[in-house]
Amino acid sequence: MALEDYRYYMETCRRCSVCKFMPLEKVIGYDRINVCPSISRYEFHSYCAGGRMVMGTALLEKRLDYTDKLLEVVYNCNMCGACDTSCKYSMDTEIIESINEIRNHCVDTGHTNPTLDKVISNLRKLGSMVPGAPAKRGEWADGLGLKDCTKEKVDVVFHVGCQTSFNKNMWHLVQTTAKLLQNAGVNFGIAGENETCCGGRAYQMGYRDDLLAQAKKNMGMIKKCGAKTLITGCADGYQAFKVIYDQYALKGDLEVLHVTEYLDRLIKENKLTPAKPVDMVVTYHDPCHLGRMGETYIHWEGREVIDEIRTLDPPKEYRRGTYGVYEPPRDILMSIPGLKIVEMDRIKEYAWCCGSGGGVSESNPEFSMWTAAERIDEAEITGASAIVTACPWCIKNFKEAVSRKGSHLEVYDIIELLDRAI
Amino acid sequence: MALNRNFYKALENILGPEYVSDDPVITETYANPFRQGLAAPPTFEAITLPDSTEQVQAIVKLCNQNKVQFKASSTGWLYSDPATPNCIKIDLRRMNRILEINEKSMYAVVEPYVIAAQLQAECMKRGLNCNITGAGSNCSALPLAAHVNLGHLSQSGSYGERNQLALEWVTGDGEIVRLGSLGMLDEWFCGDGPGPSLRGVIRGDTTPLGGLGVYTKAAQKLFHWAGPYTFPMEGVSPKYKPAYIPENFLVRYLSFKDLDDMIEAVLKIGESEIATELMCFNPAMMASNLATKNVEEEIEIYNRFTKSVQGPGFMVLIMGNSRGDFEFKKKVLARITEETGGKPLEEVEDPENQGGYIWRYFRETGSIKETGRVLAPQAGMVGGTDSFPLMSYFIKSCARVKEQLIKEGALFDDGTSPFMQSTEHGHLAHGEVLARASLRLKGDKLLEMQRGINKGSNEISIKGHFGMPQHVWGDELHDMYGPHASNYHLWLRKIKKTFDPNGASESSTYISAKDE
Repeated sequence: MALEDYRYYMETCRRCSVCKFMPLEKVIGYDRINVCPSISRYEFHSYCAGGRMVMGTALLEKRLDYTDKLLEVVYNCNMCGACDTSCKYSMDTEIIESINEIRNHCVDTGHTNPTLDKVISNLRKLGSMVPGAPAKRGEWADGLGLKDCTKEKVDVVFHVGCQTSFNKNMWHLVQTTAKLLQNAGVNFGIAGENETCCGGRAYQMGYRDDLLAQAKKNMGMIKKCGAKTLITGCADGYQAFKVIYDQYALKGDLEVLHVTEYLDRLIKENKLTPAKPVDMVVTYHDPCHLGRMGETYIHWEGREVIDEIRTLDPPKEYRRGTYGVYEPPRDILMSIPGLKIVEMDRIKEYAWCCGSGGGVSESNPEFSMWTAAERIDEAEITGASAIVTACPWCIKNFKEAVSRKGSHLEVYDIIELLDRAI
Repeated sequence: MALNRNFYKALENILGPEYVSDDPVITETYANPFRQGLAAPPTFEAITLPDSTEQVQAIVKLCNQNKVQFKASSTGWLYSDPATPNCIKIDLRRMNRILEINEKSMYAVVEPYVIAAQLQAECMKRGLNCNITGAGSNCSALPLAAHVNLGHLSQSGSYGERNQLALEWVTGDGEIVRLGSLGMLDEWFCGDGPGPSLRGVIRGDTTPLGGLGVYTKAAQKLFHWAGPYTFPMEGVSPKYKPAYIPENFLVRYLSFKDLDDMIEAVLKIGESEIATELMCFNPAMMASNLATKNVEEEIEIYNRFTKSVQGPGFMVLIMGNSRGDFEFKKKVLARITEETGGKPLEEVEDPENQGGYIWRYFRETGSIKETGRVLAPQAGMVGGTDSFPLMSYFIKSCARVKEQLIKEGALFDDGTSPFMQSTEHGHLAHGEVLARASLRLKGDKLLEMQRGINKGSNEISIKGHFGMPQHVWGDELHDMYGPHASNYHLWLRKIKKTFDPNGASESSTYISAKDE
C-alpha cells in the first residue's frame, strides 16, 4: 500500500474530534476522557488523527514540505491506535494504517528522525531495538538448560524480545515464564543468541522494509525448527508476529500467542494452579499492541465500487479493536487467590498508552514520560497498590515514571504475580 | 499573506510561544479535509490556544489593533469553520472546565471545550441531564457553540438559545460582557437579569457561529434524569450492549401511512408530554445507528427496515419517573399509536437493540454514523423553527428538490423520507432534507449540486411562506431572506457593527457589517 491508497480515508475525515476521546458511550464523568497522548500533550489539532489525515492529503498534494516541524508532528505519536478505535465506533476508515503510511512515506522519501535512524541502524547491525545494551541476547537463559530451537525441534518457540533480552532488570520475567512453561510440561525452545528483533517497533516508526527483513529472518528460523506455536511476553512482538506478519502474508499458519493467553489456557486446563494467596489490590494496564492493536489481521481482497456511494465488493470487515486480548490477562489475575483488580477509567479498547510506542521513547523521552505519568496518575486514583501489565516496554516506562514522580505504586508484570501464586 | 512579525510576537507574549503557531504544518491541519475534486481550502494565518477569557480578550484586542480577523471554535465540525485570508484561529481547546453544576437550581456552567458527553455524565451522577446538540456528544456542551443546539433531547430538553442562562462574552472588539445575572450578581442562574439581557442579540437568527466575538463561559438549564448514575453498557467498541435495560425506559419506532397521520401522532405525543425524545428518523438513520460492521451491513439493515415501515415515522423514547408514570406513558403511547395507525418496527424492540438504541440516543453517539456513513447526508437543507406541521410540510416540499437531483444522478437515492424533529413537545420543530452527493460528482459539479439544493429549497421557503430556515449563514442568504422577514438583516448588521465595529470577528457564516 502507498499513501495514495489511503487518500479516500484521509479526505473523508469528518473533523468531528471523536478520535481525541474515548468512545462516547463509555464516558462516565468529566475526567480522563482523552485517549490520544499526542494532542493531549501538544494541543494543536495537527497532533490528533484528524489533523494527521489532513496532513496526509496535503503531502499527497505537495502542499506541505518535509520540514522539521512536519517531522516533529509525524514522529510525536505513540502509534497506540486509540484514535483508530474511537473513530471506528462510527466510521469505516483506516486511521492508524493511514498514520503509519504517512511514516512509511516519510521514510521512503528519506525524511526521517535522526534518533530513530540510529535505532534502526542498530537493528540492521545487531538485530536489536535496544542500542548500546551491555548484555548478550541469550545471556538471560544461562544455566536454565532451555532447548535451542535453532538446533532442536520444538512445539513452541518462546520469543523473548529485545527489551527483555537486553535489560537485566527484566530477566527474571522471562526466567519465570520459562520456569512456568517447564513446570507445565511444554515442549518449548528459545533462539538465544540467534533470536532477532521482531521488527514491530521498526514498523511503528515507519521502517517497513526493516520489518519485512526481520519478519523473513524470524519466519525462516521458525519454519526450520518446525514449531507451530510462538509465544511472547512482549506486546509489540505479539502484534508484529500475529498481525503485521500476517498483513504481509509472512505468518503462514503459525499460531501466535501472548504469554498471558498461553498461561491462561494452562490455568484453565488445570496444568497450572495459582494456589498461594497474593493479597494485593492491583490495577491492570492493557498494552496497546496486545489490546486494541493485537486483534487478528483481516485480509480483504476485492474491489472498490464507486457509484453514487462507495461500497466494497465483497464487504470488508474492519479491525475496530473489538477482539483484542483483554480478558486472558484479567482472567489470570482473577485466578490468583487474594488478589483484587480495580479498573482504571480508560481500559481495554480505550486504554491510555504507556507512552513507549511509535519510537517516542527513543525520539522524545520527555513526551514518552509525560504519557506514562498520566497513566500512573490514573492508576493511583484507583487506590491500587500496584499497576500490573503484560509488556516489558510498558513496564520500563512505568517504572521510570513512578520513580520520577515518587509514586507509591509498584509496577509488575503479570508473570511476577502469577509466579508468587504458584 | 504572512502575519506581521510584531503581531505574532504579541500573540506569543499573550499565550506563550508553545500555544501559538503559524507553521504551515499546523495551520494546514485546521483546513477542511474534504476534497472530492474540490480545490484545497485556504488556511488560517496562525492558530492560537488560549486558556482563559483574559487571553481571549487580549487576542481579540490585538486583532482589532492590527486589522487581523479571528475565528473562534471549540470541537469544530468542519462545515462551520471556514478560513479566510488575514484571519487567525482561536482554538478554544484548552478552555475545557466545568465551572459549576448547581443541583438545586438545575443549571451547569461550562467553558467551550467541555464536550456534552462529559457534562451529561456528570449530570447523571446528580440525577440531572442536559440537552445535547444533534451533532453528537463529542461536540461542545456550551449551548450557543453548537449551531442551534437542537438534539435528540430537545423534545423534553429544549435547545441552546432557550436553555441559555448567564453568559460571558468577549465581543468582536474585545470587551468582556457578562449577561444576565452574571452582570450584576456574579451568579449564573438567569440569562435575562438582574444584569443586562442581550440574549436575542447574541443569538441572532440562528446563532452567529463564531461571527460575533467569542462566548467563553455559559450557564444552561438542566433537566431531570430518572435513570441510573451510569448506563450499564458492556462489551467492546463498537459492539456495546446493555447489561440490562434500566427500569422505566423504552424506545419505539413507529411508521405511518402518510405525513398527516405522523403529524397527528407527534402532536398528540407532544400534548400528552409523554416523550423524552422524539426524532423523525427515517429507516436509513435507524439502520446506521444499529450497524456496527460496515456500510454494507447498514444497507442490509436499511433494506430490511424499509420493507417493515409503511411510510414516514419517528423514534420515540420514553423515560418514566416511576413505575406508575412509566405505565401511564406506555398506555398513552399505545392509545396514540392505535388512533393514528402507527406501525411499530419490531426489530427496534428486541431487548438488546432497544437497550443500545436507548443509550445511543441519550448519549447521542450515533450522530456521526447518521451523518457520516453512506446513507447519510453530506449536504442538505436545514429547516426552521416553527410549528411541527408547518416545518413538516416545508421539509416535505423541499424533498421535491432532492427527488429531482436524484433523477439527475446528482444525489444518492436513499429512498427515505426527510428528517424531522419535534422540539419542546411539538411546540416547535426542525427538519432537514438529507442529501448525499453522488461520489461521481466532482469539483464544480458538486458545488453546483449543493447550490442547486439550497437554491431550490430557499425558493420554496420564501414562496411557501415557511419562515426562516436555520441554515441562513452569510450575507447572500441574509440578503435573500431579509426583505421577506421585516428586513431583519438590516438590524442584524447593526448588531454586528455595534459589537464588532472593526469586523474583526470573521463572519462568513454569520453576517457582515457591510453598508446597505
